[in-house]
Amino acid sequence: MPENQHQEPFEERLSAALHETGGGFDADRSALVAGGRARGRRALTRRRAGVLGGVAGVALVGVGGAMFLPQGNSDGSDVSAAATGAASRPSASAAASAPAPVSGDTLLDRLKELLPEGEFSREEARGTADEPGPYASLVHDDGRGAAAITVGFDRVEPGGAQVRQLTRCPDETFVPYDDCSSTRLSDGSLLRLLKGYEYPDKRVDTKYWSADLVTAEGQHVSVGEWNAPAQKGAPVSRAEPPLSAEQLEEVVTAEVWRRVVDAIPETPEPAGGAPTADLPPAASGEDVGRTLAGLLPEGLDVVRKGDPEGDFAYVVVDDGRGESLVQVNVQHGMGDIAGELYTDGETLPDGTRVAVRQGNGDDRVAGVLMWTADTLRPGEDGFRVVISAFNNGAAHAEPSRATPALTVDQLREMALSPEWDELR
Amino acid sequence: MRQARADEYAEFAAARAGHLYRSACLLTAGDTHLAEDLVQETFGRLYVRWGRVSRVGNPAGYAQTVLTRTFLAHQRRRSSRERATDVFPDLPGAGDGDASLRLTLLDALARLPAKDRAVVVLRYWEDRSVEETADVMNVSSAAVRTRCSRALGRLRELLGEDLTEYAGT
Repeated sequence: MPENQHQEPFEERLSAALHETGGGFDADRSALVAGGRARGRRALTRRRAGVLGGVAGVALVGVGGAMFLPQGNSDGSDVSAAATGAASRPSASAAASAPAPVSGDTLLDRLKELLPEGEFSREEARGTADEPGPYASLVHDDGRGAAAITVGFDRVEPGGAQVRQLTRCPDETFVPYDDCSSTRLSDGSLLRLLKGYEYPDKRVDTKYWSADLVTAEGQHVSVGEWNAPAQKGAPVSRAEPPLSAEQLEEVVTAEVWRRVVDAIPETPEPAGGAPTADLPPAASGEDVGRTLAGLLPEGLDVVRKGDPEGDFAYVVVDDGRGESLVQVNVQHGMGDIAGELYTDGETLPDGTRVAVRQGNGDDRVAGVLMWTADTLRPGEDGFRVVISAFNNGAAHAEPSRATPALTVDQLREMALSPEWDELR
Repeated sequence: MRQARADEYAEFAAARAGHLYRSACLLTAGDTHLAEDLVQETFGRLYVRWGRVSRVGNPAGYAQTVLTRTFLAHQRRRSSRERATDVFPDLPGAGDGDASLRLTLLDALARLPAKDRAVVVLRYWEDRSVEETADVMNVSSAAVRTRCSRALGRLRELLGEDLTEYAGT
């Protein structure tokens, strides 16, 4: 963005073509999320077990296995059924007892019946018997601008954590929105109506409004709509998506959808429970913070400290010329990406890799500098210490001073200190 | 507290999944299976580091950086046993847009070296500056400029100077 004004016509056309092309791809988002979380958990388990090699590798396994959930176009679902990586084929007995399948065409017909008058185009759908699960998508034009509308279905565990995630209003720190309500309906269903954006950073004006319904039996129906004929890659066609919150509620609560969820073949129960996000076991945050504080040069006042957390710690220092955020990460198992991390760096006689970087600290706040010393000790454990200093006192804050309070040489010296080896 | 963080993570991941997947599809020049894998790997790494990612910095930007580095690491690993693809990538029956454009542009992207492709995606899809792109890729700004101009030259050759018909605007 900052350099757009310097772009040549070809570059502008390329950018437009990339957006057009990229916007044509969509996947089952909830399955991607669930698959990612499963990998994260496995990595934590391996770390705890002391198996460090290859943690950061791209494991080309299980992609298909996790991708059995319905199109997650419109939901924020976090589905533990996929998270174990367990086989996702429906079991024979469960499939046999499932209600009659519902076809994709039927889904489209039912959706159109529920929508206001208008023209329909770009109709796509999968039925309940299709992998990876039922959904319907179309473009609806009520005469005031074409808009994409989707409906997706899956089953969640009643009362489980996913239900809360699907039906609770999100934390605005991460997901900005204009309006959100979360209510319990008279039949015990939970309903969330969310007026948000296709991009959490609102880089374009594409709005994404959604309704997520989870019934007491765990039937999940998700309806989404945009103020553009595609989720992305299409210009905004109208100020707001076509359906009001009330209309969205009417569509998502239609009885017909519950039968659709019932017709999805059962999947085997995932093994194990659903542990919550856990801390990396490596170094304790307290040790990291204490070590960092101990290595700060003289003359710096520590004005704030972060709560110790995992392998990360930060302090905010002030040398009298303004606040400066200093953060450190202490990581294990990073050896396999050394080639990427230290391309331009040096290798010390003992084999330690060092890279020093002076760059921008924040994509969205102009003038924020981030100076970094990045080190990787030799050894099987891939022990990495990265210290960065900023010329502001908090993430996303405006610059508070011209440069960070520590020089890159000071950062380098701190990161290379043998004190860190105590945490290996 | 931990549950709250898990919820935050889930919300963030759900909100970013679509965009990351599209980025990954461009990085892989249309290899949607690899793209799915890269996005899941990215989310896995974010999960492990979420406590820290969520508190300092820009999680969305961080996720993009992890995705790019994961992609590059993957390319590096398999470069010893695979040549760049010369066949049209396997395209999904994805929704909208001009199918012929996708094929042409993706095919052209597939013919770029992985790092050049990453530069193009970061610069012209992510709208990152040269400096930001250099940070993400852990290379110098000069290296980014070199790769960028080489990639643009190659894309001009492959696609023609006049992309207007594809631009969609």
